[in-house]
Amino acid sequence: MTTKVTTIEQTTKQVSPLKGADYRAKWISYLFCLPAVTLMFVILLVPIFIAGILSFTDYSLGNPDIAWLGAKNYEVIFGRSSYQKMIWATVTYVLVVVPISIGLGLGAALLINSLNRFGDLYKAIYFLPVMAALLAMALVWDLALHPTVGIVNQTLRTGCGTWVEGLLAFGWLPWVDGAQSWYSTSCADEFPLWIGDRDYAMATICFIGIWQAFGFNMVLYLAGLTGVPRELYHAAAIDGVTNSWDRFRLVTWPMLGPTTVFVVTITSINSFKVFDTVEALTWGGPAKSTYVMMYAIFEKAVKENQVGFGSAITVVFLLFVLIITFTQRFLVEKRVHYS
Amino acid sequence: MIGNFSTSQTLKHAALIIGALIVILPFYAMVSYSFKSPHEIETNTGGFFGAQEPMVDEWCVKANNPSGAIASEELIKSCTTTPVVFNYKSAFSKAPLLRYLFNGVFVTVSIFLIQVLIALPCAYALAKLKFWGRDVVFMLVLFCLLIPVHAIALPLYIMLSKVGLINSYAALIIPWTISVFGIFLMRQFFMTIPDDLIDAARIDGMSEFSIVWKVMLPCAVPALMAFAIFSVVAHWNDYFWPRIAITSDRNYFTPPLGLRMFKGDSDGDVYGPMMATATIIVTPLIVAFLLAQRKFIEGITLSGMK
Repeated sequence: MTTKVTTIEQTTKQVSPLKGADYRAKWISYLFCLPAVTLMFVILLVPIFIAGILSFTDYSLGNPDIAWLGAKNYEVIFGRSSYQKMIWATVTYVLVVVPISIGLGLGAALLINSLNRFGDLYKAIYFLPVMAALLAMALVWDLALHPTVGIVNQTLRTGCGTWVEGLLAFGWLPWVDGAQSWYSTSCADEFPLWIGDRDYAMATICFIGIWQAFGFNMVLYLAGLTGVPRELYHAAAIDGVTNSWDRFRLVTWPMLGPTTVFVVTITSINSFKVFDTVEALTWGGPAKSTYVMMYAIFEKAVKENQVGFGSAITVVFLLFVLIITFTQRFLVEKRVHYS
Repeated sequence: MIGNFSTSQTLKHAALIIGALIVILPFYAMVSYSFKSPHEIETNTGGFFGAQEPMVDEWCVKANNPSGAIASEELIKSCTTTPVVFNYKSAFSKAPLLRYLFNGVFVTVSIFLIQVLIALPCAYALAKLKFWGRDVVFMLVLFCLLIPVHAIALPLYIMLSKVGLINSYAALIIPWTISVFGIFLMRQFFMTIPDDLIDAARIDGMSEFSIVWKVMLPCAVPALMAFAIFSVVAHWNDYFWPRIAITSDRNYFTPPLGLRMFKGDSDGDVYGPMMATATIIVTPLIVAFLLAQRKFIEGITLSGMK
């Protein structure tokens, strides 16, 4: 083996065409990198610069007048109530979708991992929403949640007055008054309009987001679980860790640290980008309850041609995402690695 | 012991089945709605397939009877069809769905090919060639990985409309031509390929160009497959960028944009055709996924490597 390598190294030094190769490698490397580097500048870096500049102006397409506004756009974003609502809606969405979709993803991964059979079947099913076009599925959910025609409310309504109501009203729990429960009052009155109701719209959009995202987290956790060495469980058992909660708390969860940091980062960034469901179902309403940043950028800059203002929202969005990314880098370097 | 064992397994299955039902519900509803007549959709009857009772296609009647006179029996007869045929036929006739599907395929395939064309030589240079500034270029790649595409959508929209490219294939494709992630991925992959192989190719007198396309490309097929899945799934399903880049011209609509047009149609009962369209758009990737699950999961979670 060693001799073979040395001979090749010798030949590479001796054979003359290679000198030519080394020489040509110099300029050809630049040629190879040129298209990529050019496009990186034109498509990725220059636009950020442009957004940064425009965010201080009142620029709009087709309007030759452009005025320097200073930080006024940013003052509006953080000062006016409708844009505070925007930030609030975005942050709410992220804070709801990230923990729940990660919790469900981890739960599903742990359950599937401990199954004797059919694990792959569940894995495939839970991954389906990740593959399907979110817009298409959002429209299906829209129809399924339709107040009168939708399958969800119709099914809920058929349950009224039957054992389903008894079960879902939770009246069988000693501390719950069944008649006052959500299900019973809805039966007596009317089931929610879901996306048309300001109290439910955000929850519904979050639900669709969780429905779509948790399979992705599950797959990442399944990959993370294969990396936990079996010996650790044996070692823990010898040390007297016998119940499964302690096993999870002391072995599995710490070993999944790197996976968790990554999953949290990617889910947070993806949640900040939520757009499809809002644009197709609620248009940011009712009463701005689902007015998330991506939709605000689209509405202000593209529909209403307030490009300068939209750019300012873009910059705020970029800052949010960068903060998450740098936190991740920091955590990765700090202490989540146990290897 | 065995009894105890299967109890916990049964409970786990029960929990997972409930989850699976919720996950599948919209897929079930989508396909089921696409089979049903407007009346069945409204009343939520007909089971999964609908009763498939013959129904009159009102659009067909209107189209063949422009005067608005009372339609003849023959016309009504020729316009009578079953709900499933009506839904899928309307999906293609009410909107140019074939055109949308073609646009979708054209755009996704073009994006992938251009991404490879640009990324592969650069990745090869970064992994295997020594030149002044290589580290700078690699740092640039790492820096660009941080930039979320959603943050540059607006300035790109402005740049493209300044050069008059909004509402064109170029607008749909250009922003995605550079995939820094692809460069990064391919570079990591090329690092694992032994230098001897490249040296041998050089001794055989191959130019650097042929080395990239005839030696490195075949070596990189597994990584490229995963990247292809990653890229195609993302762009077939993408709605955000097409929604911005295509403002009015229906000729450039991608499938999700075409589907979106069904909602907000004041036409009333278009749910059947809408769900048929949704089924048509979603099915190809779902089928491909079910056929090659491992490859797809690998490809989609590629972004996990960043």
